[in-house]
Amino acid sequence: MQDGVLTTAGVLAGLSGAVANHSQVVLAALASTVAGALSMGVGAYLGTHAEREVLRTELDRAGKEIRRNPYIAQEELLRELEKEGLSREAGYRVVKLLSTAPGLLVSTTEEKVFGIGGAMLGNPILDGVVMGVAFVAGALVPLAPFVFIAEPRVDLFAALGATAIALYSVGYYEGWLADRQRRWQSGLRFLAIAMGAAAIGYLIGLLISPLGGSAG
Amino acid sequence: MGRGFSRNSQTDRSSIVCGTRDHPLFALIQMLIPGDPAPSFDLPAAIDDRIDHVALRRITADLIVLFFYPRDFSFICPTEVAGFNKAMKLFAEENATILGASVDSAESHSRWARELGGLGYPLVADENGETARSYGVFDEKERVAIRATFVIDSERKIAFSSATSINVGRSVSETLRIVRAIRTGRLCPAEWTPGVDFGPDDVKY
Repeated sequence: MQDGVLTTAGVLAGLSGAVANHSQVVLAALASTVAGALSMGVGAYLGTHAEREVLRTELDRAGKEIRRNPYIAQEELLRELEKEGLSREAGYRVVKLLSTAPGLLVSTTEEKVFGIGGAMLGNPILDGVVMGVAFVAGALVPLAPFVFIAEPRVDLFAALGATAIALYSVGYYEGWLADRQRRWQSGLRFLAIAMGAAAIGYLIGLLISPLGGSAG
Repeated sequence: MGRGFSRNSQTDRSSIVCGTRDHPLFALIQMLIPGDPAPSFDLPAAIDDRIDHVALRRITADLIVLFFYPRDFSFICPTEVAGFNKAMKLFAEENATILGASVDSAESHSRWARELGGLGYPLVADENGETARSYGVFDEKERVAIRATFVIDSERKIAFSSATSINVGRSVSETLRIVRAIRTGRLCPAEWTPGVDFGPDDVKY
C-alpha cells in the first residue's frame, strides 16, 4: 500500500513542480496509478507463480525422497528434534507417533529437515489482485484531496498532508503489530520516507520544468 | 531448499579414526582387520534389564560377535539389534556370544532394550567412544560408532570385520554364516553354508 501512496505523492509533487495545469497533473497521476497498480499486480502474480512452481518441485522431490527412504527420513527428523532440544528418547517417541500417519511424517520432515512446507505455497492470482488493489488504495490517499482541491499549492499540501497522516498511521500500525514500545518511531520512519520521496520528486520537477516551458 | 538426506547419511572416511589424535599411530590406524588382536574393554552394559559390566577378558565363549551401531532410539538400528536377538540361540549353538555397543549410556541401553521388547544379550555402553576408536570404527565428526561388525576368535583376535554405510543395516544371517564357517576351521568356499562341501585340505586359499 505504501508503494501506491509514495509513488503517487512523488508524482504529484514532481508534476506540480513542472506542470502548471491542475487537470494535467491529475490525469498524469491517474495514469501513473493505473500503470503502477498493473505493474505491481502483474509483478506479484509472476513472482508468486514462479515461487510456487519452484516450491512445488522442491516439495515433490522431498516427498519422493522421504517415501523412498522412510528410515532415513525418521532419523533425520529425530536429529532435527534433538537439535531443537528434545531428548533422543522423547524425539524417538514423537517421530514414531508421527510415523503412524505417513502424510504427517512427510509434511513434518519437509518442514523440519528440508525447510519447506505446503503452507508456503502462495496464490498468484490473489497476491496479484491484493497487490494491485492495495496500490490503488494507497494512491487514492494523496490523489483524492488533490482532485477535489483545485487551488495551486494548497492541492499539493493537502495531498502531502494526507500522505503524511496515512504513512504515519501505517507505520504506527506496523509498530503496534510488532508490539514495539516506541510505535511513534515506526510512524515517523514512514513519514520521513514519504516526505523524502515527495521532496526529491518536487525538486526534480523544479529542475526539469524549464524543459516543459511552464512552472508551477 | 533442495537439500536432501545425503549431508548426514554418508560417513566421511577421513573422520573415522582409531585412537586419539595424540596417538603416535594416529595416521596409520584404520578399522581392525582379521588377524589384529581384539582390543580389550571393560564397560558398563545393560544385561537382562539390569546394569552390569562386560569385560572382553571375562567372556568364555569361543567366538564373540561384537557389533557397533550409531545410537539407541533410532529407526534403522532396531532392525539389527532385534535381528541379533532373534538369532541368539543359533549363535549360542556355535558357542558364540553377541555384544552390541554404542555411545549411549547403560541406562539408555536398558530403556532401549525394554522398548524393543527385551534383549537376551548385553548392550555395552561405550560412552566416550574409546572402544569404538580402538577398533577403528568411531566417526569423530558425528561422535558415534559406525555400523561395524567384528567376529573375535578364541585367541581374541579379529576373525572377521565389516562395516556398512550408516544407512544400510547389516545382515544377521551373513554374520551367522561367517561364524559357522569360522567354527569349521576348514576352507570354506564362496557362499559356503553348512552342508556344502569344504575346499581341499591341502590348499590353503
